[in-house]
Amino acid sequence: MLPIVSITLFLPLVGALIIMVLRRAPAQIVHAIGIVTSGLTLVGALWMWSRGVNETGFAQVEQVDWMPTIGAAYRVGVDGISLPLVLLSALLFFLTFIYSAKVKERPHAYVVLMLLLETAAIGTFTALDAILFYVFFEVSLVSMYFMIAGWGHEDRQRAALMFFIYTLLGSLPLLLAILGLYLGSEPHTFDMRVWIDNPPLDGTAAMLALIAMLFTFAVKTPVFPFHTWLPAAHVQAPAAGSVILAGVMLKFGTYGLVRFALQMTPDAFRDAGIVILVFGVIAALYGAFAALAQTDLKRLIAYTSVNHMGYVIVGVAIAALALDPATRAMALDGSVLQMVSHGLVTGALFFLVGMLQDRAHTREMDQFGGLLKVVPILGWSFVLAAFASLGLPGLAHFPAEFQIFLVTLQVEPVAIIVILGIVITAGLYLRAIGKVFLGEPREQWSGMSDLDTREVLTLAPLLILIVVVGIAPALVLDIIHKTTAALQF
Amino acid sequence: MSLIVITILAPFSAAVLILLLRRLPAVLALLGAAIGLLASIGLLLNTFNGVSAELILPGLPELPLRLIATPLTALLSTLVAVIGSLVLVYAVGYMKQDNEKVRFFATLLLFITAMQTLVLAGDWILLLAAWELIGLSSYLLIGFWYQRPGVRAAATRAFLVTRSADLGLYIAVFILIADAGSSDIETTLNTGGSAAVAAGLLLLVAAMGKSAQTPLHDWLQRAMAGPTPVSALLHSATLVAAGAILLIRTAPMLPPDVLLVIGIVGGITTVVTGLIALSERDLKRLLAASTSSQYGLMLVAVGAGVPLAALLHLIAHAAIKSSLFLGAGVFQHSRESTTLTDLQGAGRDRPLIFFAFALAALALAGIPPLSGFFSKDAIIAAALASPNAALLATFALAGTLLTGAYMARALHILWRGKSQKRALVGLGWMGGGLAGLATLAAILGAAFPAIETLLSAPLPASTLAQILGLAAALGGLALGWLIPMRRLLGPLLPWANQGFAIAGGFDAWMVRPTFAIARSCEKLERVLYSGVLAVGRLGLDIGRAVRRSDDRGIDGLIFSLVRGTVNLGSRARTLQSGLIHRELAITVVATAVILVALFVALLI
Repeated sequence: MLPIVSITLFLPLVGALIIMVLRRAPAQIVHAIGIVTSGLTLVGALWMWSRGVNETGFAQVEQVDWMPTIGAAYRVGVDGISLPLVLLSALLFFLTFIYSAKVKERPHAYVVLMLLLETAAIGTFTALDAILFYVFFEVSLVSMYFMIAGWGHEDRQRAALMFFIYTLLGSLPLLLAILGLYLGSEPHTFDMRVWIDNPPLDGTAAMLALIAMLFTFAVKTPVFPFHTWLPAAHVQAPAAGSVILAGVMLKFGTYGLVRFALQMTPDAFRDAGIVILVFGVIAALYGAFAALAQTDLKRLIAYTSVNHMGYVIVGVAIAALALDPATRAMALDGSVLQMVSHGLVTGALFFLVGMLQDRAHTREMDQFGGLLKVVPILGWSFVLAAFASLGLPGLAHFPAEFQIFLVTLQVEPVAIIVILGIVITAGLYLRAIGKVFLGEPREQWSGMSDLDTREVLTLAPLLILIVVVGIAPALVLDIIHKTTAALQF
Repeated sequence: MSLIVITILAPFSAAVLILLLRRLPAVLALLGAAIGLLASIGLLLNTFNGVSAELILPGLPELPLRLIATPLTALLSTLVAVIGSLVLVYAVGYMKQDNEKVRFFATLLLFITAMQTLVLAGDWILLLAAWELIGLSSYLLIGFWYQRPGVRAAATRAFLVTRSADLGLYIAVFILIADAGSSDIETTLNTGGSAAVAAGLLLLVAAMGKSAQTPLHDWLQRAMAGPTPVSALLHSATLVAAGAILLIRTAPMLPPDVLLVIGIVGGITTVVTGLIALSERDLKRLLAASTSSQYGLMLVAVGAGVPLAALLHLIAHAAIKSSLFLGAGVFQHSRESTTLTDLQGAGRDRPLIFFAFALAALALAGIPPLSGFFSKDAIIAAALASPNAALLATFALAGTLLTGAYMARALHILWRGKSQKRALVGLGWMGGGLAGLATLAAILGAAFPAIETLLSAPLPASTLAQILGLAAALGGLALGWLIPMRRLLGPLLPWANQGFAIAGGFDAWMVRPTFAIARSCEKLERVLYSGVLAVGRLGLDIGRAVRRSDDRGIDGLIFSLVRGTVNLGSRARTLQSGLIHRELAITVVATAVILVALFVALLI
């Protein structure tokens, strides 16, 4: 059988190498290579999707010996938790390349970095070997650093620095935890499947490893109070960078939370479940309130990410606390679907803000007004994405959040207070829509042009998927549920 | 395809078609609504023959979505379809000169779709989804003229107030599903004990938001910013009705304590908003306050334990109130205003329209043999027969009295004054829609016995209720016609003009605290941000100091690595190489070295 996971994983890298070889190629060719490569990667991801997942364990596993003496090997594969994220990443990267086709500033380096980032992202979700996971996890970080520092906005140096220091320091504890798990496993191995089937640590060691992992993933997700890098990085990153950062890279944190923390130290996770739940609730509410105070549209969306990812944390914590397998499966279903929905919705929102900024060179909400009349396609797209983000039924976030809230009430009724977040996000999005798009159009913006074909092509797939996932969540949930229903921990 | 699907899909496909084709919006809208209407009449006829339909759709794992046509849901579906279609007919005329017809008709059809889904929903998730979609479509419709001043605030407020109250529905649904292990509405109606009390009270909160009950009544009057056909629809069989429908459908589950609370909330609302209606200076706002007041009466009936009386009043009120709004819309077009001073004598301009308006007004007041008489009579009888007769019957009679008073006042103003003849565009369509609805408002009472049989729930009958109700209605009419409003309200007038807001109302209790929290979060953000930045700078300073003090030894190795990396990087492209990059590169390599050392140590 064709090793489709590995092909999908390394295709972007091949594209990057081709561009490095063709150093003199004009910008159009470089962008074309980027689009074609990521398009093929998307095809690969769809192929993986069509192959599906197994009832238990990982599917489509591909394995090559690497360092047999220390039990490290090249191992990749997917299950119902990672496969949707792989597909999401491939889609978002593809759209990012379409959107970025206008970049004229050092296009070679830009496309190479993005392709590198794509391999790193898909690698993080498919790696079944802890060393491999860590390598991809770190490579993504470096690529994103250069992305922000090289193509960001006004204050990019500082934001990039903050992003780098934060996430670098953040990922060190994960390495320690990985070493701990390695030493605890008998015989020593870095095979994540072994760690998941037989959690190698228990007692204090497991708790220490869990705390280390939680720290890493809390920075990445991000959870209050480790989130300060996020608004800074988002505001300064180029639009494409923001889309990838929010749509793909934030999921590293919550994916790690499930894959590592929950699956490899399940007992410790259960003991710490309430604490994690509290962190999730605070993150969700704090993110919503902080977003409400923003005047910069991009910062506002960045903070709603803290809110939405907070729901994911709540869902995972509830999954750990739940005793009944059906409840646990529903909690994880909701959490994983929430990651996918957030990628689609926030991806669309960041694209839209980028398009607005390309035209107006400002992101301050008070500077706008009445744009719905001037740029109707952009305006209505924003309205749709905003309503999706505030959790309107029929759009992508609703099924995920409904499941998360439902199990929260069943398992820890007090934590249902987190549902206040949906009113506050409703308020802040209506305020943003009102300020930017409603009211009397301002003279200043009367010449603004509506979305062009490239931009429509970038947005349309996301908006369509937002509706499709909202109306027929089963399309995604079937794959997710297959794994979560059989999960033992 | 089953009728139940057509009921929902017909208006929806028409909306999609309108958006795609961008032409013939009115024709397509009428067509879609007509097909939907036929389908729901079909459903209703089937239930008369004892045939119920159920359709199960895929939803969340283990929680499928259900559509269900029982006598009650089919009846409500027909009501929505009838009122929706007639309002659409009227809207063809009303919107004749608006150049955003595509958006208008598509949104209106989306609204009807959502409402049909709500009444036909057989499970909580679908009901919740429809409930929220109604919120969305009303936001879009109230905000239809989004460029006009004040419209944005009105639409936003309508959505936010109802969504805040919707949390009640969310949590109630979670409680019911958790308790019953199923999202099927029928199954969850067997819930008892404390879960039923909690869920019942939370459902009431949600219903108070949607049906604009005190103290959440304020948004509905502001919602008048939308086009008049929208108001007619919002206030009759759709948006506002959702709250009462929710309580009518869940009534079998509600424990006595919850019923009493519902009755009291409804009673207070009917009086408070009745007084507001009496004090209004604007015809559409008067009608809006009256809507809250009538829904208050329905809640009294639910609280009295006779949801059927509430249902009958809901049906009668739907036809009556949409007639009143459509009439008001014609007056508005002919005088280009809705304030009562501008409308003096507007009734004389168009006696036929005024006749329809007056017919509906008398029906609302409860004058026989118009429909409102029968439904109000049922409510008063229910209140008299309930365990809390003294309280609930007082509320019901006070509400009836006030209804007569404010409707008589409106009629008086519309009739007294000079006539001004002006040509109107689209009067034929508007008159057609209005005629249909006013006829219904007049004769619907005749259908009530059939509904009783269909739902097999008898109404309490009482001659006392009839006498008291008629006396209250006539008394109210006389007061409103003969005595000026200022004399009637006296010292209550200023407070009534503020919508009886308690200590600043929604803004002071909800909006300001929320923003205060948001601002303190933002302050904390700044502190955290500068703190982290300071730590980062300190780290860089240490890095520099270390490099200066030790430029040889191990650093030599690192530097050659760094140089290699930097060269590689600059060959790929020329990134503006600030000092920071080198510092960072050093940090990375140093970290790697430390980690390798750690790793080796652990292995040994």
